[in-house]
Amino acid sequence: MTTTALEKIRNIGITAHIDAGKTTTTERILYYTGVSHKVGEVHDGTTTTDYMEQERERGITITSAAVTCEWAGNRINIIDTPGHIDFNIEVNRSLRVLDGAIFIIEGVAGVQPQSETNWRLADRYNVPRIIFINKLDRTGADFFRACDSLKEKLDIVALPLQLPIGIEDQFRGVVDLVGMKAIVWEGSELGAKFHDEPIPEALVEQARAYRQTLLDTALSVDDAAMEEYFEHGDVGVETLKRCIKAGTITGAFRPVLCGTAFKNKGVQPLLDAVIDYLPSPVDVPGIAVAAEEGQEESEAEPRRIKADPQAPFAGLAFKIINDKYGTLTFVRIYAGTLRTGDTVLNTTKGHRERVGRMFQMHADKRAELKEVSAGDIVAFVGLKDTGTGDTLAAPQDPVVLERMAFPVPVIDISVEPRTKDSVDKMTIGLQKLAAEDPSLRLKTDQETGQTILSGMGELHLEIIIDRLRREYGVEANIGAPQVAYRETITRAHTETYTHKKQTGGSGQYAEVKVTFAPLERNTGFEFENSVVGGAVPREYIPAVEKGIRSQSDTGVLAGFPTVDFKASLLDGKYHDVDSSALAFEIAAKACFREGMKKAAPVILEPIMDVEVTTPQDHVGDVVGDLNRRRGMIQNQESAGSTVIVRAHVPLKEMFGYISDLRSMTKGRASFTMQFHHYDPVPRNIADEIMAKSA
Amino acid sequence: MQPPRLHWMRGRVDEGDGKPRTLEWIGIDDAGRTIARVVRVRGPLASGWRLYRAVALDAQGRVVELRPTPPAGAGWLACVGGQVVGRAALPLQAVRTAEAALGGG
Repeated sequence: MTTTALEKIRNIGITAHIDAGKTTTTERILYYTGVSHKVGEVHDGTTTTDYMEQERERGITITSAAVTCEWAGNRINIIDTPGHIDFNIEVNRSLRVLDGAIFIIEGVAGVQPQSETNWRLADRYNVPRIIFINKLDRTGADFFRACDSLKEKLDIVALPLQLPIGIEDQFRGVVDLVGMKAIVWEGSELGAKFHDEPIPEALVEQARAYRQTLLDTALSVDDAAMEEYFEHGDVGVETLKRCIKAGTITGAFRPVLCGTAFKNKGVQPLLDAVIDYLPSPVDVPGIAVAAEEGQEESEAEPRRIKADPQAPFAGLAFKIINDKYGTLTFVRIYAGTLRTGDTVLNTTKGHRERVGRMFQMHADKRAELKEVSAGDIVAFVGLKDTGTGDTLAAPQDPVVLERMAFPVPVIDISVEPRTKDSVDKMTIGLQKLAAEDPSLRLKTDQETGQTILSGMGELHLEIIIDRLRREYGVEANIGAPQVAYRETITRAHTETYTHKKQTGGSGQYAEVKVTFAPLERNTGFEFENSVVGGAVPREYIPAVEKGIRSQSDTGVLAGFPTVDFKASLLDGKYHDVDSSALAFEIAAKACFREGMKKAAPVILEPIMDVEVTTPQDHVGDVVGDLNRRRGMIQNQESAGSTVIVRAHVPLKEMFGYISDLRSMTKGRASFTMQFHHYDPVPRNIADEIMAKSA
Repeated sequence: MQPPRLHWMRGRVDEGDGKPRTLEWIGIDDAGRTIARVVRVRGPLASGWRLYRAVALDAQGRVVELRPTPPAGAGWLACVGGQVVGRAALPLQAVRTAEAALGGG
């Protein structure tokens, strides 16, 4: 596909808190780049990137959508991502494969919780980004306050490249601090003309001060530019742009632009900034190759694969969609060139895959391609067993790229088909949906035989059930949402267990001595073999690990998965004839069951970071209610006539919160929440949970 | 924007890690005499068993420990005649601080 030179490609994402205007901005970008001839609106359900029925009905983005457009001779591949935390996996996987991002911040509220979460995700993947402060036409909008919130909440050097001219309903354009001119729009309608003019007299002093800050900050990344400044007392626009781009890529500072996408102001300069400051595939260091097994990650700088169409093929599958035409696998190509019918190696799973057809996606529409190469983001059809996060590579250089990290589901529901003959259809449908979405987990409850669906929140699971109905024709009954509890231990304990069955026939014999010790939160499970002198033969060690690992799925208190502990195999005994891998696995399972009971086990529950935005006169009610829900108030902040209350509240207490909040505040308050951490549940609640599971 | 009064040029450079990093900018007058310097604050720096929180180069290029440790964000020192006359987060700001200390800046 790449007929465009690599340095003229931008692979970018648009991400933000819910309702900050991502999709609206994307629609304007598509309009101004000539891709679409009319603008869709979120509230009308007519946008290009929100093409799913559920997205159009609800006015929110659920799945990330890829679109392509051209601006000033450059090709921009854009991924519009969801804002709601329940669909955070979409942001996660998109940021993993993008070279840059536009972060949209709301001009009234500034940085909101989801902006912070997405920002940290982008940090994790080192994604260069520019910030667009949107909705400056709204009552209460304040560019400078929003900038301050960037510094305070994200701890970054926010570097304004523009200043607003007017604010709220008087907002009419921006001061361009790079070119030192005003850009003024002649109306708010779609396609409104704009022109350059001198900076308004009232803003000249302020613009000079901000321009000096811009020079101070941007030139500090480039010694040659500093010398140019010392020689001339200023630098040329091209030099300044070069410095801004360099600082953006390294993250030394984050450029800030502003406007109102809905009122069609500021979008064209934002597109210019994407081209000028966000990197092309050749401007970034290249994708890191994963450390080989046994090799410490910190041992050496990882090998990086640079964007090069002539190099051996390397790509990362980052998204799977099943539709009526089959399975579409979205792939970011980092190196090499691939033609229809070529075979690649899935190096993650170790098998070959033949690429049937290849498409450039434009939301839900597709254009077939015969050839794709480095820098492209495309969809493959025909891959049999490639999942999200798998690497596809040329057999002559079978690299494995760094994998993605997926969030852990925090909420469960049981689901069963309304009619018996839909059982198979439901299973297939759910398996396909789970294959698309790594933040969705499917399991069968061993005791009840029920299918349990685990996801990121009530909305996430609601959408999945709705998709099951619409796309797979399965009407399902769902149980009440359940909290995804975990279990862990709080002190170390060493247990010895002997599994002995030697009464007639071939016997079973295994003895293990294991220390179970608590680990820090979010470290999962670690196994250590400390056996010396061959007390447990080497071939049986994996069976011990397997036994403990599988038994840890069913905790000793209430049957929830046990996490954050280390099992050290210290010693054991074996029998020359009667010992086997199975005997050691059984012994390890029993040792876990006995040992964990004595290691002061506790039940953990997910604690959510809740942010309620409420009018001033309802603050007391909101805070009181959060306290009743076992919430810990973190802070309260005034923003105009509203107050933002932040609290940590157990997820268990948050089911159905939206209805209570609405009735409490006459529908005037809103809230967002996202997973924050796991904490032990209080004793009385733990007793309730254990009684229920008994 | 006020153009600089002195002629500023690159001083010592750290070539470590393959990425040259300017450690100081030197301000000279029309006669070519060094009048001011702005110096990058580095640290923490381990040397033997000691850990220096913040160090900078003196005019002779020797590494000297800064006591007390400059506050966070003070990445550059402005020096005139061997005296530190101010601190700044960025080198251009430090240059202005040094020139202001010379008067008339």
